[in-house]
Amino acid sequence: MITERSVLISVRQVTKTYKKDGREFHALRDCSFDVMKNEFLVIVGPTGCGKSTLLNLVAGLDFPTSGTILLNGEPVTGPGADRGVIFQEYALLPWRSVLKNVELGFEFRKSPMSRSQREAEAMKYLDMVGLGYAVKKNPGELSGGMKRRASLAMILAIKPVILLMDGAFNALDSKTKMTMHQEITRIWETEKNTIVFVTSDLDEAVKLADRIVVLNREGSIEAVLQNDLPRPRLGSAARDLDFHHRFIAFRETVMNVIKKDAGLRTCAIS
Amino acid sequence: MAKQNDTRQKNSSGLMALVADRSFYVLGVILFMIVWQIAGSLRLFGADFSEAFSPLAAILALVEMIKNGELVHHALPSLRRVLVSLSLAVVVALPIGVLVGYFKRIEQLTYVVFQFMRMISPLAWMPIAIIIFGVGDVSVVFLLWLVAIWPLILNTSHGAGRVSPLWVNMAKTMGALDMGILRKVVIPAAVPDMLTGLRLAVGVSWIILVPAEMLGVPDGLGYFILDTRDRFRYDQLMATIMVIGMIGYLLDSANRWLIHKFSWKN
Repeated sequence: MITERSVLISVRQVTKTYKKDGREFHALRDCSFDVMKNEFLVIVGPTGCGKSTLLNLVAGLDFPTSGTILLNGEPVTGPGADRGVIFQEYALLPWRSVLKNVELGFEFRKSPMSRSQREAEAMKYLDMVGLGYAVKKNPGELSGGMKRRASLAMILAIKPVILLMDGAFNALDSKTKMTMHQEITRIWETEKNTIVFVTSDLDEAVKLADRIVVLNREGSIEAVLQNDLPRPRLGSAARDLDFHHRFIAFRETVMNVIKKDAGLRTCAIS
Repeated sequence: MAKQNDTRQKNSSGLMALVADRSFYVLGVILFMIVWQIAGSLRLFGADFSEAFSPLAAILALVEMIKNGELVHHALPSLRRVLVSLSLAVVVALPIGVLVGYFKRIEQLTYVVFQFMRMISPLAWMPIAIIIFGVGDVSVVFLLWLVAIWPLILNTSHGAGRVSPLWVNMAKTMGALDMGILRKVVIPAAVPDMLTGLRLAVGVSWIILVPAEMLGVPDGLGYFILDTRDRFRYDQLMATIMVIGMIGYLLDSANRWLIHKFSWKN
């Protein structure tokens, strides 16, 4: 891809320990890596290996036990609207319509926009995620995929420089997942944001990532793999036979790195 | 259940079924009146009073009280006292409830005191209320206020306390400050619990109203109970009891409607 890119997020020797029942355990152990500007970085690893913890630290919702996380060279001190987070569970407010949920970010930041401007701006993002037809519905009336799109629109509307996505497309049926992959890639390409994406779905990782960070069971980094598959990787491009072979080969590489860690035991990677 | 009935209403035979279904509520009331009347006729309330205590006598007395204006004269002050004290309770209790629910330290600071206070019957404060505010409206309103604030505070704090941390985190990552989180997330999330608190507060205020109005005010349904007793008008006493029950029922229905209308569902 692009050769020269500046570092946006820098994770330096980050360790995170938790106390549980009087015992200390490591969620993350001495993790270091950089995320480049406009990069699509995917973090994979077995369940419970600290992927979500890592994302929460970057989001500023939690803090490392030791080590630092730099954002544009400055340490992260708390959450900020420059980093939009899409959580594993839906965070839509059930008493607001889909449209009103997307407008929430403008309200929080006391945007000077008029009511109709807010509405128009929110509509833009709802159209972007293909939810323009359901704006008056309440979250309770939406399917899982629609909720995903709604939370995505909600976060995109605050125009975050960085999108942090934690298992964002888990529990979606394969067709919806495919559409969401296309949407997020398109949004990433047009909005030029930086994405840190946590998943345990290897296919998903290979389809989306510029680079893949593999975490192991100990909570440290097993490997950082460069994904040289050409884009576009979705839709008709994926039907090219040569591409398909390369796709499978790279997925195999990632899989082998993970298997080495898992020691061929049952692995949480699907 | 309610939803089922809504869909039933769509065709006319469904409407009939609905009427048939609902008629059981009315039937229950009629059966109650019949049993009550029979008990009166059998002189179960004593030889001297059974006639005055029967529902027929009460209904006749009620008509009389409506005609001569006594009903309105006593019901309006009672309603006014309850509404004034409830409004004051809401104004004080909701902000306290939100703070107690949202900030763990405030909850810890207030927990024992609130649980302790809410178990004290407001009537126990009566002498103190009279010393401070004198005999009259203010004392009654104060006692009603004192009984209404606890269910409001405790339910509101419960609602504000169980706000999903996911929503709060989401709000934080969207650039919300504490005030924004309170206004846009915590308070709206607590609305169903606030309304439940209001319903309980209305119920308990209305119950406490009657004894509170026996403390030397010149009007109100509680006062009128004593007045009818002194005048040996037991039929009017029964009629007043019926009115108290009916107004209480209507107030509660209004609250249920509020809950139905303004509670969000997942």
